[in-house]
Parts: sequence; structure tokens; C-alpha cells
Amino acid sequence: MITTLIGNYPKIAEGAYGTRLIGTISRWQRQEITDEELEQVYQDITRAILQEQEQAGIDLLTDGQIRWEDIVTPIARRLDGFEVNGLTRWFNNNVYYRRPILHRAPVRQGPILVQEYQFARSCTTRPVKAVLPGPYTVMAVSEDRYYKNPRRFVRRMAEILNEEARDLAAAGAPVIQFDDPAIGFGWPGGRHSSKAKTTDMKLALEGLQIATRGVKTKTAVVTYFGALNGRLSQLLNAPVDIIGVDVVSSPTTLAALKKLRRIPKALALGCLDARNTKLESVKDLRAVFRIASKLVPPDHLYVNPNCGLEFLPHRQALAKVQRLAEAARAFKES
Amino acid sequence: MLLTTSVGSLPKPEYLMTARSQARKGSLDPKQLRALEEQATREWITTQEQLGIDIIVDGEQYRGDMVAYFAEHLAGFQQSELVRSYGNRYYRKPIIVGKVGRPRPVTVDWWRFAQALTTRPVKGMLTGPYTIMDWSFNEFYPSRRAATLAIAKVVREEAKALEQAGAQYIQVDEPAISTRPEEMDLAIEALGIVTRGLRAKTITHICYGDFETIGPKLHRLPVDQIDLEFANRDFELLSFFKGRRFPKEVGLGIVDVHTHQIESVEDAANGLRKALKVFKPDQIYVDPDCGLKTRTPEEAIGKLRVVVEATQAVRAELANGRRSGLRTPSAARTAA
Repeated sequence: MITTLIGNYPKIAEGAYGTRLIGTISRWQRQEITDEELEQVYQDITRAILQEQEQAGIDLLTDGQIRWEDIVTPIARRLDGFEVNGLTRWFNNNVYYRRPILHRAPVRQGPILVQEYQFARSCTTRPVKAVLPGPYTVMAVSEDRYYKNPRRFVRRMAEILNEEARDLAAAGAPVIQFDDPAIGFGWPGGRHSSKAKTTDMKLALEGLQIATRGVKTKTAVVTYFGALNGRLSQLLNAPVDIIGVDVVSSPTTLAALKKLRRIPKALALGCLDARNTKLESVKDLRAVFRIASKLVPPDHLYVNPNCGLEFLPHRQALAKVQRLAEAARAFKES
Repeated sequence: MLLTTSVGSLPKPEYLMTARSQARKGSLDPKQLRALEEQATREWITTQEQLGIDIIVDGEQYRGDMVAYFAEHLAGFQQSELVRSYGNRYYRKPIIVGKVGRPRPVTVDWWRFAQALTTRPVKGMLTGPYTIMDWSFNEFYPSRRAATLAIAKVVREEAKALEQAGAQYIQVDEPAISTRPEEMDLAIEALGIVTRGLRAKTITHICYGDFETIGPKLHRLPVDQIDLEFANRDFELLSFFKGRRFPKEVGLGIVDVHTHQIESVEDAANGLRKALKVFKPDQIYVDPDCGLKTRTPEEAIGKLRVVVEATQAVRAELANGRRSGLRTPSAARTAA
């Protein structure tokens, strides 16, 4: 069993690495400090976050996405073709992101995350995964004024993300994870289309097929915020090595998992609630692990919070990381 | 007809912002802060009277965040460390750690203070139970539903106390209601607990969100008036109401609160004219889209002035229109 986190992590920590990022970004926005000074702070915090995970005993680390406001705009801002626009609700959370608008065919001008990834990897001896948005989710949270066609948009984004994934694999990423909350949730922008809540599973999987083509490392898709609504068996056919399922947001997902027998892939079990501060008990976590361990062999079972931990204050986020490691240890020993 | 009002919050003047930050650091005592909050409240009430606003708000000069304020004054809540809201903006999100209770009235003193300063009605302003639940972490109640219903009972006590103090208008804001359409029924049930049997006119302000899904349930919200943002999407929301008989009053936002630019009176009046093709005149209350606290005081005053002047212009047209409707205007006069 492998403990891991999904991606983002609190950018500030009143009791640990501090809140200086807030002031640093404000000063950088006012052009009072240089890009290098901002970069230094990003690196310090990234290092601190990797250390926290190591010390807690997490097996597969993430860099915490300290530079990221959400999972889509860091990519959109660095592609030609997008404009990053007004504040929009991030799925059903009281958190907002800036909605990308596609004006022209998107073009990747070079590697986007490779340098950041290399830095994170240099901070630790443990494996660090690389995280990208899934092509379907990029489409779902953006406004398409160019293709005006979801399939063409998804396919083009998938090609771009595939180039990035290949570069990240070449940089040594042992796992490349595609975050696809829109698969579980449907499109968040319901007002744009009455059909938007229904996930086009065929298109989402087609996007992943293109995005993972020829990527010479393990690939993962993680879905969160939603109930999957009967789409679990389709999701299990996704052309990736690891399937991430959120069993916290809706009780129906765990019930659906219980009905399965064996899964031909690895499973990433999102079993701690990263959107509520209440700390799960070791006992409850072990019960969920037990269900999952009937579906996959131990080396094919990843256990993690249901989504990134940035919705939580740092203290509670760290408590969940430690609890995850503790429960996993207890489970292995039992 | 076409009474003017505000959604709730108004910007805090510079001196109050400074005082609040000093009070947080402990270099200003609570009594001094209170005196400045009262001064700012007095100023806003005078301003609203001078502008000609019909239904006054106290401007919430003593509140920070609309959920955190209640969480700080109710039992059962704890303040969290900072969490990010968007970009580089952070806030303290309350955590429900025990049984929610109301050891003492929360807003009644401030309402009395404000109402004593004016002969016009002052609205009682509350945050709704669904929004307080959705914008808090919950470590105590077994479900979102249980937490919402427990908070509803407490908000109900506060609404009742405002009514007993003499409030004729009580607004219970539910901006989170459009976040999860599947929980709309829960939000309706909880709001019903708050408003049941109140004689005061009840209002709720909700934000745009997933309107296609929640729209059809709007008429079931247990309040007399629903206040909505119309200006920031160029009144396209009106098309939803077209051709239906909406059984409630409508709070009609005719200026956008997210722009620095002050709308022209003509544009705002045109919005109101469009709305009059969909709603009856005595069904409409006119206000800005949302609370104005994120604007500067000057911008807020400018936008409120546009609300009043646009409404006055349209009221005059309605009055004239009625007169000319009784007579039969001659062809010559029509041409002129």
C-alpha cells in the first residue's frame, strides 16, 4: 500500500513555514521585488512541504503546487491561445478561480512544468509525482470561443498535455497524474448548457488516451468532488495505470466499489475528506482500506485524501497527512 | 411603488479600516473601536437619507465577513487558521466544533442603534443557515443537513428578536444557495424554519450561480421577496422570468457592484424599464446587485445615487403614463 497526496497543499502555515507568501506575492505584484526573489520563496515553501510529507512518512510525494492558483490556469497562462479572465466558482466549493477563455488554437511554446518538477525532485530522495489537469477538465472549466466544439478542444488539449507528460517522464517523474474532477462532477459551468452536468465519458477517456500515448512512465487519472453516478465501470477502462476515486464526496461511490470484484489496474483511494477539518479515525480508515484491498494487490493500492489539501488550514491538513500515514502503518501491521 | 434600498454591506471609511486593524493588533480598545463603528453607521444612515433611499441598511460597519461575524457571536464555532479563497486572498473559515447556540442576541443592539437614527425603516440583516453551514467546516454534526437545521433554529431566534424589536423588513441572505443545486430543498427547508410566522416582510438575497437549475425552485423560497443580481449580466436574467407569473416581490439589482465605473442613470433606468415589462411596478424593489463593501465609499455613493435617480426617472414616467392613459392624447401631442 502506497500513501500519497493528490496535489495542492496549503501555501501558508501559521504554525510552520509561515504566511510570508501572501506579502511576497503582493510585493511582486507591485513590482517591489524581482522574479528571482519570488522564486526563492516558492522554492523555500516547496522544500518545507516536501519535508513535511517525508517526516510524516508519505511514500509518494507532491510538490504542493505552491505556484498554482488552481489546476488549470498554470497551464492555460503559459500556452498561446488562452486569456485568463473573471473569477468563477471552482466546482461546488466556496473557492474561486479565473476562468480561461480560448480565443485561438492553443499552442505549447515549450515545457511548462519541467523546471518546477526538477526542483521538487532535487529536494527529496523519495519519489515525487507530477500532476497535470486532465484534458476533459480543462475543457469543462474553460470557455471555448475558438473551436466551439468540446471534442476538438479536448483532443487538442490532450495533444498538448501529452507533450508535457512526455517531457515530465523524461525528467524522471515516476507517476504522471491527470486530475479530472469534471469526470466525477460534470461541468461546473451549468449555466452555459443544460446538459453540462452529464459527463461525456467517451470524450473524457478519448482525451486521456491521447494524453497518455507513448508516455514512458506510470500514468494516473484522479476524479473528485462527485459521485461518478454509475460511471465507475467506465472509468476503470481509462487508458491509465492508476484510477483515482473519491469515496468521501458521495457515499454511493464506496457502495459501487464494494460491488466490484477485482480491478485490473491500480486504485488510488481518496479516503480522507480534504474539504472538511474533521479528522478521520484510524479505525474508519482501516475499514475503507480493507474494502479496497479486496480489489487490488497491496502494491496496486494507493491511499490518499480525496483531493488536494489546500481547502484546509495548514494545521488540519498536516494532521490528515499524519493520520493517513499512521492508518496505513497500522493496516500493514495488522 | 419601486422602493429603493441596498443589499446590506457598505464600504468602511478609511478611519474605520485603520481602527479595525489596530484593534486586531491590540493597540485600540474595543470601546474606541465601537465608537468609530457607530460614527461610520451614523454617517451612512445620513448619506442614505440624503440620497433618498427608502429602506435603510446599517451598512454592517461592525461586521467583517458575513459568515464569520455570526460564527464569532454564536456558540459552537471556532475560528480557523487562514485558508485561501482565490488568487492571493485568504480568510478564516469558521469550524463548527459543538452544538450551535445563541447565548445572547447578535444583531439586535445594532439594529436598535440604527433605527433610532432615522424615521425610515431599517432592514434587519442576517446570514442564512445554509450559507453559514456551507461556508464553515463541520466537525460536530453528522451531516450537512443536521448542521444546517441546527443553525436554522438559532437564526430563527435572532429573526424573531429583530421582529420584536420592531424591524419591518428582515433579510436573510443565502448567497451559497446556488452552489449545490441538489441541496436546494435543504436550503428551502432551513430558510422556512427562520421565516415561519414572521409578520415582518422577509427577503433573501441569492447570487447567480447555477441559475438554470435553481431558477425553477425560486418561487418556493419561503420569503416575500427575492433579491437578485440583474445588472452584472446585462439583465439577461429577465428572460428567465418572462412569460411566467412570479408570485413574489423582486429585489432588482440595477448597478453592478464589481466594477469601479459608475453606471449612467440612463443605463440603469433602461434596465428598470426592461424589468417593468416582466414584473409589475409594485412587485419591484430597486437596489444595487449585491453588497457594496468592496467599492470605495465614493463609488458606493455614486452607485446608490444612480439607483435613486434612475428609479425617480422611471417612477415619473409611470405616473405620467398613467395620466396620459386616462386622457386620449391627440395626434398632435403624440407627434410633438
